[in-house]
Amino acid sequence: MKIELKNVSHTYDVEVLHQLNLVLEKYNAVALLGVSGSGKSTLIRLMAGLEKPTSGEIFVNDYDVIHDEDYKKHVGFVFQSHNLFPHLTLKRNISLILEKTRGFSLEQANQIAEDNLKLLKLDDQMDKIPKNVSGGQAQRASIARALSLNPDIIFLDEPTASLDPILTDEVLKAIEELRELGKDFVLVTHVISFVKDFANYVVFMENGHIIEQGTPKILDAPKTNELKAFMKKVR
Amino acid sequence: MKTNKNQLRRVLDSKPVSYIFALGVFVLFAILIVSRQLRPFQLSAIEPYWGNIQSGFLNTIWVSFIALVGSLVLGFIFYLLTQSKLKFFKAFTDVFTEIIYGTPLLVMIMIMAFVVGPALGTFNRTATGTLGLIIYITPYMTNIFKSTFGSISEEQYMAMDLFGFSGYQRYRYIIIPQVVRMLMPPLMNNFSLIIKGSALLNVITYRELFYEITQMTNNNFRFVEGFLLMWGLYLIITIPLSQFTKYIDRRYGL
Ligand SMILES: Nc1ncnc2c1ncn2[C@@H]1O[C@H](COP(=O)(O)OP(=O)(O)O)[C@@H](O)[C@H]1O
Ligand SMILES: [Mg+2]
Repeated sequence: MKIELKNVSHTYDVEVLHQLNLVLEKYNAVALLGVSGSGKSTLIRLMAGLEKPTSGEIFVNDYDVIHDEDYKKHVGFVFQSHNLFPHLTLKRNISLILEKTRGFSLEQANQIAEDNLKLLKLDDQMDKIPKNVSGGQAQRASIARALSLNPDIIFLDEPTASLDPILTDEVLKAIEELRELGKDFVLVTHVISFVKDFANYVVFMENGHIIEQGTPKILDAPKTNELKAFMKKVR
Repeated sequence: MKTNKNQLRRVLDSKPVSYIFALGVFVLFAILIVSRQLRPFQLSAIEPYWGNIQSGFLNTIWVSFIALVGSLVLGFIFYLLTQSKLKFFKAFTDVFTEIIYGTPLLVMIMIMAFVVGPALGTFNRTATGTLGLIIYITPYMTNIFKSTFGSISEEQYMAMDLFGFSGYQRYRYIIIPQVVRMLMPPLMNNFSLIIKGSALLNVITYRELFYEITQMTNNNFRFVEGFLLMWGLYLIITIPLSQFTKYIDRRYGL
């Protein structure tokens, strides 16, 4: 995938991202790292087009993320808390989108939903609403939802942060298996072992700046003091 | 022998049996209270008034229903005002809420029926008194709208946006269905509040349950029978309502 950030800044109450620049090509699994509050969620949301930056430009796979409304149709996003619609079954969470916004018939939509839920081993859970399944199952359903829309890129913002270690493993395994689908991934996670396995590029952030970037090897031999300190903390 | 004892203990300590015992305590208390009255308990003394009591009962339900719908509509309008960009509207609802929270329902009904109504040229105390009840409940309704709409997270809106739902689709398929489910339990709690509050409408001689039964006791002095019956009739509405609310919440809660 191609990602290009040009002088991207973002302000909520104060500026949280400062003039970020980044050019990436040919990597298909990019990990954003950094302590909590460093701006990872903000950046991944900007890259996915969920929010617009205060200033700067963003291009992903030649889409002008900020101005091209069509871009969103090519994006999958997995939130930290599954963020499924709580009143709909896992299946309906997916088929509603396909039926109402992608022009599928209800039968087709249900079929696609079932196929993707099965892919994430949720065969016997799909008629339950989110509160009646485990956190790991809900998060996998949320991944299935992202996949069902047949996106080019899947963004995952700390998909396991709200899960215990066993469920974390379950979800990470599921993500790992998705690699074979040939999609591109951008993810935020604190699970360093997973980053080393899964990602082929790492971007380390602190206080709204990109401090260090490179292949996952930089995690074993950090150059900056910030990344050194971070690696001590997560270990 | 020992297992038998354990079994018995488990049955006695089970949930249904505990509730039956608890209910029994209150029934015993009622029987004790009735048996200690000087005059023998005679439900038949009520018979001549039965028609009036029935119509009072129905009037209680009717006026409560009107107040429910009225306060729901008014509460929703006030909720919309709190969401307005104009600061005045939010200030207005805040001041209104403070005033209502500080006012006893009885005072509210009196003020509406005997002060505000006449000033506006109406002496229809049933209407103005009921309006008092509606106004009194309105801030509670506004609150439940606030908390239900507020509980749809920012991220859900982001997701709706990402998936490309139109404005209509968002309300039709995602927002309203959630709001309705979350609204039902607190709404029914408020309904219970209204039913209990409606008893105060007797002061404006609205012929609801409380009014009819006190009319009877003033005539035949059957206070024990009358008030116990009144109590029972209120509970017959409110307890099933609260049980139903709990069921709805279990079954459809999010
Ligand atoms: N919606 C928001 N409104 C206001 N401030 C926000 C919002 N989202 C994030 N922030 C602030 O932006 C900074 C970066 O947050 P975030 O991008 O969530 O960091 P991370 O994901 O690395 O923990 C934090 O200081 C956070 O408080
Ligand atoms: Mg975050």
